[in-house]
Amino acid sequence: MTASGTFAYGVEFAHLMDLDAIGGIVVKGISMKPIKGNPPPRIWETSSGMLNAIGWQNIGAVDFVTAKLPALRKYRTNIVVNIVGFELDDYLEVARFLNDCPGIAALELNISCPNVKKGGFHFNKDPRDAHTVTAKTKKVCTRLPLWVKLSPNVTDISEFARACEEAGADALSVINTLVGMAIDVEKRRPRLNYVTGGLSGPAIKPIALRMVWQACRAVKIPVIGVGGIATTEDALEFLIAGARAVQVGTANFYNPAASQQIALGLADYCRRRKIGDINEITGSLRT
Amino acid sequence: MNSPEQARLVQPGQFVMLKCAAGINDNPLLRRPFSVFDVDRTPGAGRPRGLVLLVKEVGAGSRMLAALKPGQEVDVLGPQGRPFDLVPGTQGGVSAACLVAGGVGIAALYLLAQRLVQHGVTPVLFYGGRTAADLVLREYFERLGLETHYTTEDASLGEAGLVTCPLDRFLKSRIRTGVRVYACGPWAMMKAAHDLSVKHRVPCEVSLEARMGCSLGACMGCVVRHLAWRWTSARSGFGTR
Ligand SMILES: Cc1cc2nc3c(=O)[nH]c(=O)nc-3n(C[C@H](O)[C@H](O)[C@H](O)COP(=O)(O)OP(=O)(O)OC[C@H]3O[C@@H](n4cnc5c(N)ncnc54)[C@H](O)[C@@H]3O)c2cc1C
Ligand SMILES: Cc1cc2nc3c(=O)[nH]c(=O)nc-3n(C[C@H](O)[C@H](O)[C@H](O)COP(=O)(O)O)c2cc1C
Repeated sequence: MTASGTFAYGVEFAHLMDLDAIGGIVVKGISMKPIKGNPPPRIWETSSGMLNAIGWQNIGAVDFVTAKLPALRKYRTNIVVNIVGFELDDYLEVARFLNDCPGIAALELNISCPNVKKGGFHFNKDPRDAHTVTAKTKKVCTRLPLWVKLSPNVTDISEFARACEEAGADALSVINTLVGMAIDVEKRRPRLNYVTGGLSGPAIKPIALRMVWQACRAVKIPVIGVGGIATTEDALEFLIAGARAVQVGTANFYNPAASQQIALGLADYCRRRKIGDINEITGSLRT
Repeated sequence: MNSPEQARLVQPGQFVMLKCAAGINDNPLLRRPFSVFDVDRTPGAGRPRGLVLLVKEVGAGSRMLAALKPGQEVDVLGPQGRPFDLVPGTQGGVSAACLVAGGVGIAALYLLAQRLVQHGVTPVLFYGGRTAADLVLREYFERLGLETHYTTEDASLGEAGLVTCPLDRFLKSRIRTGVRVYACGPWAMMKAAHDLSVKHRVPCEVSLEARMGCSLGACMGCVVRHLAWRWTSARSGFGTR
């Protein structure tokens, strides 16, 4: 599937690939009220990756449901809505609202975004806070599965994975972006207006893979691998490490059909290796 | 660049996103935006068959493009972005158009100039740069028979100073119904062109440029602050103008 914030609201890519060919679309992080986001510059390219500090710009849950979701629902793919908030109540409000909207397959709780001051941050400092927000959101999320997206900006991701599992998360998405920075040496100014930003793209793949592997060993619920996936081989690495599914992020920006190519590539791999069910690969790492 | 499909589709003001490196996952990772300067056509029938781009070498990606040899392939996404509003019909029809260009901003205006001429509108070119060497591709516009006003900061070509001086004089001297200003270039120049348009009460369109990630409205990287105090994507063809 495609990763949140890298595939807009999905329909923007419909003329560039077959949306029905992928398992799902995780749409841009949504809050109850629209958010303007951070002032530019918001992105900076780095070696094999990019920094971003978008700051949760989104059209708000009501506009999403009335203006975007109807078109998106026409496709035979699963629509997962990534939800963001500054405070616990923000998450509950938007989760409650979306829980009642038909056409959504799951909610992905983003408690890991590095680009909003205070936003989500306490949730990834202390596993107990991650537990609280997950448990409370799960309670209002009566109809939909709840995935929790974890931050890599922690010492031990297994603690957070376990806390969220205990709190009732149905799956974990691992990982969000890593906090990074770049400087213009002529002006001695940060490349991003926000100073720091989230690093994504192929550059972070080894770290994401390691964290997915750790999370998979810590919990029984499905773990979804995210971080630097751009090719079929990348996706296979995550599956072998234990991921039950993968999300493609930054690659969508320069290769809009990347997720479809990977889905086809995985099917191809299975055929070639005579694997009947892709789940046979999951966690098959030999150490 | 041989590219019949894009050549057929492109509208004045649009751009293409080029993968500068050979492999799709090679660095630079992100595609680079370049305006479509002109459409190349088959000699006899005049069918669109290719794109003409103007590439200024400023960094790794543009250097790779400049080093391409005939026969090599480039991955192209597009045409992207919202085209200029060209408009016999709207607002009483345009009878004269001011094309205001600074530096590589000229690349966004040649297709527009041709289209306006086809529509019987007479564009006037205002083209500024630091020195004469910055004012590339002037001959294309001259060949169309446009009235041209050149300015350079070092007085090496045309009038000394900024391009907005002749624009101001021009707007002052005319009956301004049916005049429209189109600008593409550095921010300060577009701001000045806009301010003059407001002062003389003529409609103005600017073609904004910002560091761009995807051109699809997905990464939200190229946003520009506009009067409504919201962020809207530069040239991505959505949001309010
Ligand atoms: C819609 C649009 C149309 C454009 N059309 C043309 C065109 O027709 N011809 C042309 O030569 N250039 C054009 N540009 C600018 C061109 O895209 C950049 O020069 C190019 O992306 C730089 O890539 P690079 O890898 O060579 O340099 P990088 O290594 O990415 O950057 C080198 C330097 O260029 C600056 N730069 C990077 N991107 C931009 C940008 N978007 N605008 C201004 N400066 C930038 C950087 O800040 C840096 O100082 C256009 C830009 C946009 C947004
Ligand atoms: C521009 C941009 C915007 C993003 N926005 C969101 C978001 O709104 N919510 C979220 O959970 N993750 C967001 N992410 C993180 C991605 O979903 C993904 O976790 C991360 O980029 C790592 O994957 P990648 O290397 O494949 O891009 C964003 C990433 C980028 C590059």
